[in-house]
Amino acid sequence: MKKFTKYEKARIIGARALQISMGAPVLVKTDEMDPIEIALLEFEKGVIPITVRRK
Amino acid sequence: MAKHDTIRALLKRGVSEELAEKVADSGLTLGDLKGLTASELCKKISTSEEIAAEILQLAGSKPKKAITSETSLKSKIEQLEVPRSVKDALIKRLSEREFTPTQIERILRMTIEEYERIKIDPCEAVGIVAAQSIGEPGTQMTMRTFHYAGVAEIYVTLGLPRIIEIVDARKTPSTPMMVIKLNEEYRNDKTKAHALASRIEATYPSHLGDIVTLPDEMLIRIEIDESAMEKRGLGIDDLIEKIKGQGKFNADIDLDEDGKSINIRPKEYSYRSLLQLRGRLTSTNPSSGILIAGIKDITRVVIRHEGDEYTLYTEGSALKDVIRIEGVDGARTRTNNINEIENVLGIEAARNAIINEMVNTLGEQGLNVDIRHLMLVADMMTVDGEVKQIGRHGIAGEKASILSRAAFEVTVSHLLDASLYGYVDELKGVTENVIVGQPIKLGTGDVELVAKPYGKVVD
Repeated sequence: MKKFTKYEKARIIGARALQISMGAPVLVKTDEMDPIEIALLEFEKGVIPITVRRK
Repeated sequence: MAKHDTIRALLKRGVSEELAEKVADSGLTLGDLKGLTASELCKKISTSEEIAAEILQLAGSKPKKAITSETSLKSKIEQLEVPRSVKDALIKRLSEREFTPTQIERILRMTIEEYERIKIDPCEAVGIVAAQSIGEPGTQMTMRTFHYAGVAEIYVTLGLPRIIEIVDARKTPSTPMMVIKLNEEYRNDKTKAHALASRIEATYPSHLGDIVTLPDEMLIRIEIDESAMEKRGLGIDDLIEKIKGQGKFNADIDLDEDGKSINIRPKEYSYRSLLQLRGRLTSTNPSSGILIAGIKDITRVVIRHEGDEYTLYTEGSALKDVIRIEGVDGARTRTNNINEIENVLGIEAARNAIINEMVNTLGEQGLNVDIRHLMLVADMMTVDGEVKQIGRHGIAGEKASILSRAAFEVTVSHLLDASLYGYVDELKGVTENVIVGQPIKLGTGDVELVAKPYGKVVD
């Protein structure tokens, strides 16, 4: 898997947490309610539908 | 075979340390063991016959495992993706002691891990971090300019003034100095080192004797100090010739009848011309003095016995002339004049000189700044192929962006120029984006997100 820098990770999780907080379908099975925690879980599993474009 | 080798050879064959030492202590070697029987051996090292038999059996066997040979270790280290300095350190440290292959494997793995950990991520604001990391220790530096830099009698600018000098890329430092190392033939020979020193040090007539003015005779007499002449390997004829050639005087220069003085008589019979002549002869100033021997810019040379060699420290610097002199080791000779290094050795050498000078100046004050911050500064100063200062005439003044330059100094004239000539600002830097109110291209601000097709729900 592509390794992300700490900045990329922050942006991806941030963007995903925003999506989840606004009602996007969650891609992991969890009881967690905090969108940021959910986004972190999704990131660890590598299922976030967001990536980065590098120059 | 030495005792130590015997023990090692036995250990490799599986003999316990205690027994191996016993065998070696009794003066036996691995070769001797082959010709012995168990009963003979047990008498010699005073053990039971069974143990002796065991030793003999083990000694006859092949060594268990060859300890990782140096060449394979080297090639393994060479393949790692780490900088040269880390590789060299690994090779050095790992060959100092013996390690088992698993230990080596582990050391190398941990080295890589640690190296990856300390690498900084892309988009990091390295410039800001470097500036802070140099600036903070900078506040602790003494303002005192003068210090003895380990060498008696030679003044060197140190501390904050020296740092300012370096980043301002001054053409000449306020106290230029050189450390001249000598080559093999000269470095251990005191007389040769002294001879070399006097060939380098600028010598003027007043160093070679007393200069006496005799107004009633309209005469200036140099009373030669023979020991001073001898020290520098000069003859009286050389001196006369030099004075004639260098001085271009309107005067008669002759050897006195006693053969130990030089008489100089101005052709023009006036008191003024006599005084003028005296002024030139007594001057030790590089621009007006008459150079008899040595290099003009090097005003003083101090010889020191350092470690196991003689080293010359000079006041004044003339790298180009010095490295040409027979007996000087040009590769190890240094100057603190960065501009000179750039001209003589090139921009890469200048970059290294900037780094070294900064590390040494900070280190001398007991400040430890990570070398990578200083490398960044040196890189920025030299990236264009010539050393330029950090400041309005250098890095800050030559930024590509108009808005960035306008934010730095003389805002109106920069903006006026830009509007007159129709410049375009690409908004790539930090300052420009702050001005127009956009996220800056640093850290998370420089990440471009793209959507990826939806995946499936996972557990």
